[in-house]
Amino acid sequence: MAKGSLVARRIDIYDNVKPPLCTSCGKPLNPSSKAVSFYCPNCGVFLIWRCEKCRTQGSTYKCPNCGFEGP
Amino acid sequence: METLVPVELYRKMGVIVGTQICTKYMKRFVYKIIQEGFYILDVAKIDERLRLAGKFLSTFEPEKIAVVSVRVYGQKPAYMMCKYVGCKAILGRVIPGTFTNPRLEYYLEPDVVLVTDPRTDRQAVIEASKAGIPVVAFADTDNKVELIDLVIPANNRGRKSLALLYWILTREILRNKNILAPKQDLDVGPEAFMVQKTVESES
Repeated sequence: MAKGSLVARRIDIYDNVKPPLCTSCGKPLNPSSKAVSFYCPNCGVFLIWRCEKCRTQGSTYKCPNCGFEGP
Repeated sequence: METLVPVELYRKMGVIVGTQICTKYMKRFVYKIIQEGFYILDVAKIDERLRLAGKFLSTFEPEKIAVVSVRVYGQKPAYMMCKYVGCKAILGRVIPGTFTNPRLEYYLEPDVVLVTDPRTDRQAVIEASKAGIPVVAFADTDNKVELIDLVIPANNRGRKSLALLYWILTREILRNKNILAPKQDLDVGPEAFMVQKTVESES
């Protein structure tokens, strides 16, 4: 890979970076939080994020792509 | 839709038999309550979840799957599953730090954890949660689903039940990985996954 392409892919401080949102509660996830991500068990397309609180409470999540409801 | 194994086999192995307690989340998988107060699980939902779990686990590298079983009746099925699929088995007591302490010799870094019972395998579930690893679990009617990402409702106490569940899951993973043909079975039956009764317990 060319060096230039690596430089171009770096995130600049002026870039808008959106944090992932919890699929259950919709809150943004802190990078240091104990969140879990996995692809939808049914369709395998959508990346599901679950925050620590929703996992502890056993809140349900719903895949926006296929409508699968878990856990 | 055709089930993975005949419904009679699910009944015979006691997969559908729950406990006399039912948690709020597990009520959605209950079919009925019999006179003695035992909750009976819905076969269609068990079958659907086994299919899903097989599909989900087959997306991971086999050596990145950890199968945990503290329960004695789940140890042989878990071992046999790991033998066929190639995943890592943690049988017996889960030593603290297995998923969280990289200094330990027995440190593992799996991508997904499969537990036999969320209550008895609590140490593994907590450590997986700290490490950000998704957890798939067999859950009976009295199990809570906290820190679990995919529930497979089933009887996780029975010797025959656990053997059949792990056998089906193994077969589904291998079918999804195209190691087995879509209608092909394993070279052994569910009896090979079963813990044999000792002579003392029979008498």
